Amino acid sequence: MRLKDISTPVPKKDHKDKVSGQLPYISDVKVDNMVYGVLYRSPIAYGKIKSIYVPTLPEGYDVVGAEDIPGPNYVKIIKQDQPIFANEWVNYIGEPILMLVGKDLNTLYGLRDKVKVEFEEHQPIYTLDEAIDQISSASFVSYEFGKGLDIISAIEQDAHQIVEEEYTTGYQEHVYLEPQGMLAVYKDDEIVVHGSMQALYYIKNALLSALACGDDEVRVVQSPTGGGFGGKEEFPSMMACHVAIAANAVKKSVMLVFDRHEDMVVTTKRHPAKFKYRTALDKEGNILSMCVDVFLDGGANEGLSSVVLQRSLLNSAGVYNIPHFHAKGHVLKTNTVPNGAFRGFGAPQSFAGIESHMGHLSKYAQLDPLEYKRKYLVKQGDPTITKGNFRDPILMEEMIEDLLDASDYNKKKEEFQRFNQQNLRYKKGIGTSVFLHGCGFTGSGERDHIKATVKLVKSKDGKVLLKISNSDMGQGIYTTLSKIVAKELDLPLEQVSYPDPDTKEVPDSGPTVASRTTMIVGKLLERAAKKLKAEWKSGEEQEVFEHYVHREMIPWDEKTFTGDAYPAYSWGVNFVEVEVDTLTGIVKLEKVYGNYEVGKAIDDRIMKGQIDGGLAQGLAYGYLEKMTTKQGKIQQKSISDYGPPTSLDVVPIESKLFDNPYADGPSGAKGAGELTLIGGAPAVQSAIEDALQTSFQQIPVTAEVIMESLERKLVNRVD
Amino acid sequence: METDAPPTARLLDLIREEFGLIGTKEGCGEGECGACSIFVNNSLQNSCLIPIGAIAGAEIQTIEGLMETEQFKILDESYSECGGVQCGYCIPGMVMASAALLSENPNPTDAEIREGISGNLCRCTGYNMIVDAVELAAKKGEVVCQKK
Amino acid sequence: MPEKITAYRFDYLDETLSQLNKEDCAIVAGGTDVMVLHKSGRGVPPKIPKPVVFIDHLSELKRVYQKDKDLHIGSCSTYGELLENPLIPIALKNAIKTIAAPAIRNRGTLGGNICNASPAGDTLPLLYVYNAKLLLRSVNGDRVVAISDFIQAPRRIGRNHNEILAEIILPSVLEEGSHVVFEKIGNRNADAIAKVSFAGYIRISNERIDDIRFAFGAVGPTMVRSIDIEKKLLGKPFPLSETDIDSIVADFDQIIRPIDDQRSTAVYRKTVALNLLRYFLNTSQYQPN
Repeated sequence: MRLKDISTPVPKKDHKDKVSGQLPYISDVKVDNMVYGVLYRSPIAYGKIKSIYVPTLPEGYDVVGAEDIPGPNYVKIIKQDQPIFANEWVNYIGEPILMLVGKDLNTLYGLRDKVKVEFEEHQPIYTLDEAIDQISSASFVSYEFGKGLDIISAIEQDAHQIVEEEYTTGYQEHVYLEPQGMLAVYKDDEIVVHGSMQALYYIKNALLSALACGDDEVRVVQSPTGGGFGGKEEFPSMMACHVAIAANAVKKSVMLVFDRHEDMVVTTKRHPAKFKYRTALDKEGNILSMCVDVFLDGGANEGLSSVVLQRSLLNSAGVYNIPHFHAKGHVLKTNTVPNGAFRGFGAPQSFAGIESHMGHLSKYAQLDPLEYKRKYLVKQGDPTITKGNFRDPILMEEMIEDLLDASDYNKKKEEFQRFNQQNLRYKKGIGTSVFLHGCGFTGSGERDHIKATVKLVKSKDGKVLLKISNSDMGQGIYTTLSKIVAKELDLPLEQVSYPDPDTKEVPDSGPTVASRTTMIVGKLLERAAKKLKAEWKSGEEQEVFEHYVHREMIPWDEKTFTGDAYPAYSWGVNFVEVEVDTLTGIVKLEKVYGNYEVGKAIDDRIMKGQIDGGLAQGLAYGYLEKMTTKQGKIQQKSISDYGPPTSLDVVPIESKLFDNPYADGPSGAKGAGELTLIGGAPAVQSAIEDALQTSFQQIPVTAEVIMESLERKLVNRVD
Repeated sequence: METDAPPTARLLDLIREEFGLIGTKEGCGEGECGACSIFVNNSLQNSCLIPIGAIAGAEIQTIEGLMETEQFKILDESYSECGGVQCGYCIPGMVMASAALLSENPNPTDAEIREGISGNLCRCTGYNMIVDAVELAAKKGEVVCQKK
Repeated sequence: MPEKITAYRFDYLDETLSQLNKEDCAIVAGGTDVMVLHKSGRGVPPKIPKPVVFIDHLSELKRVYQKDKDLHIGSCSTYGELLENPLIPIALKNAIKTIAAPAIRNRGTLGGNICNASPAGDTLPLLYVYNAKLLLRSVNGDRVVAISDFIQAPRRIGRNHNEILAEIILPSVLEEGSHVVFEKIGNRNADAIAKVSFAGYIRISNERIDDIRFAFGAVGPTMVRSIDIEKKLLGKPFPLSETDIDSIVADFDQIIRPIDDQRSTAVYRKTVALNLLRYFLNTSQYQPN
């Protein structure tokens, strides 16, 4: 198949093996001399380990713990704060203390029940609010930037009105269909770790540290990955350490696969957040200044939270050019399961908050929420809140106009008003969200930390292999990145392939995160392909490398939080129509629309898959999926108690792409994967608000939240 | 097939561990995700919830068996043309549910398709492209039936 | 070494009953609840503390038939089978359709739903308002008990060790003229466990209430039903007056005492239960269904 327009859909490269179920995910793999591992985890939220008792183990069964770690006892990521096996302090329920390994799982479960650990318990911090009360000791990291507070306070003095709002967002759990799993294959001269993952070199670096070994003694191979959504960005490094240390200790191959309950309670989740908005308005409801305080619940360790906070802050003003904007943010420590990467990485919380706040401010101006938001939309050439620049064309106005048209917005508003007057039980509403996503790593991450390299290998018979460390976890990069290379080389797609990445074979092209793969890695591949084309010698084996080159804009300075935080932005608009049952608070989605601008889609069908899937997750984050902790324990341990959407909860999504090719993206493509999630929650919240003519200060807006608000309204009316 | 596994063993483990068939996946182990869907006497069921003692003598079909059928070929094509597959982990179960639905109801409506796959969780696609695939398979199936 | 597991699967009901007479066993029908309740981890069999008896293949337990105006449902009829059966009332089918998803409905049984005795059991509110009776069979013969006496507490039922729940009897259910509603409130539209459920039954003749019944699920340890409250409405003119409705709602307000758990809150459950009750009482017209 020769590619003409890159966006024309092609069959996915991994389709056949997936549809037949014959593609081996890690739990489908068996190797010689393989044993299973099960983890003994802390039953308490905070305390000091006094003693560990392990029952006498049958032959062939072993215990592996902190003393078996050749290197330092922490999972290498940013800070050295997560032990591989806790041996002094435990900081959350579920923190791994030791691992039992052996042939039979049933026997292992039985033995684990007999392990006893004595603790000296200490007073934990269970909630974000408790942590905020102790902010000086509980803060992991903080940033502050924007207009000076003295200037803002002068503006506030003269303002007609100050509006203050608090807003909270809950946990979100990834629920990738394939639970986490990792296998360390033991060989005399190396340990090869296979598993479900997004970031091969994060794992490799963690293993080099934990095993204190040479570069050629450890190798990481990605297995087919059954969904990631960020959940397999940093978390798998810990499991990889567990199996590799165990394999190293017992000289056998060790498999660790989580049960769904275990996966739900011990793996990272989206950070719960709290926002405080303080906005000065003039008489007409125009914004004079805005201050935002962001608090993220980091859980028990820092992990990637500082970077999540950065993205959260960078999006704290949404897609708006707000005069006199100031923001400050903290990540706080609680003795709960550590939070981490999740599609959107801090941005979905911020967008839910700012879209909600802007919607509520529109009332002071007596404008429709969307009309009010449009007054503040950023335009090409505007500064960002960090004194960077929106230098590329912005199509938001067109995209909004198009949806107003497609959804018949104004007519619908009237129609719903009539419906709501007549129907006592059911109320209809329509809501909107406008949003963007900064593509690629935040700040100078690509330049200073990742420094991506890609490699193309051409065989004698003219076949080309992509040698990169990025994971296809369902988002389709086997197909899209192959398309980019095939297009550039003018080769049939069948001649280009992308084998499962293996660190022995591939350079570090960076992790598969941050909507960077298509734009950053894809561009490097495009350049590599161009180079290969120029040097092409028939009948010869050839290799080409290409390294990341940073295009300097306004340099990013993390300390002052100024400069261009992202090289480019993708954009989106969502409209959502709902019907709310006022007797039960049940929300039914009726119609969902999405317009997106991602530069240029590499494959329209794959892009539609990202839109539908991302939006389903985003909508559900706004009203359906609910996870809570009680005394440091996750309460929803099963999929149905947590409640991700089923086929009966989702409706067809009308979506459209607006081309706006980006010079530094392959064929003009920008990032797309995370963008699609971001608008869901705020749009659904505003639709529910429209239906009930009320306002909410939190997501998820569950049936419980709705009923509480309706009851309150009732009481107020009676009063 | 015979087995020495205990009668309370999960059919899922028997299929995967003893028979070595990997197309039936474990996503939750408690009937909430559908990744382990198989046919027991032609009825769609979750193999994680079936103690093998309960189904002595029953006919079991997994995705590996379905693969041999014309129906699978049609579903395979339709899923590809509609982009119904992303990470793939839910897909064998989803295809089993699709096949079960189409066998009973060759021309399902959108609502009937959603109902038919409602026990099969997919976290990647938001379902719509899977619903499209089942609809397309129904259309293609009609053509196949007419040809016969 | 794996522990030894005893399990029985007889061809006939009488053999099954005589085994139960000798030994206390865990009865497994479809297994959809038992397998989850005793789940022991990925890749291993569940840990069921007693010998197991499989019964869902017994054809004696799968018959559905009419006797006078009563409907008899074999306890091991799967939900899927009941959905196909023309004798099953529409309201019961609607309740069944809210259970889990097709694959579970192909395996789970009505008898299993009753014997699992979950406070959130999906068919239970309806079975309560149908005044369902349960036929328990043992080597000593049959006995019939009301469902409300049989279900005693969460996961606790009045079954003797030597008995099997053989049939569910819905008395006079095939008589015409009544209207039945069922509402299940879950967190999503499939594969959800009820946060609140409500069943209402009403029969009106000559614009007066001839018979009226309500049951609530997931708001207490067992279904909440009150014959005393129902009695207050018998003979009342329909549509009901605002005062009558308020008084009934106030009565239930006293006896519905839900809890907070991982799925919902006590406040929500109570509010919604009473809302659904009020809505049912407020409806001014009922077509028999």
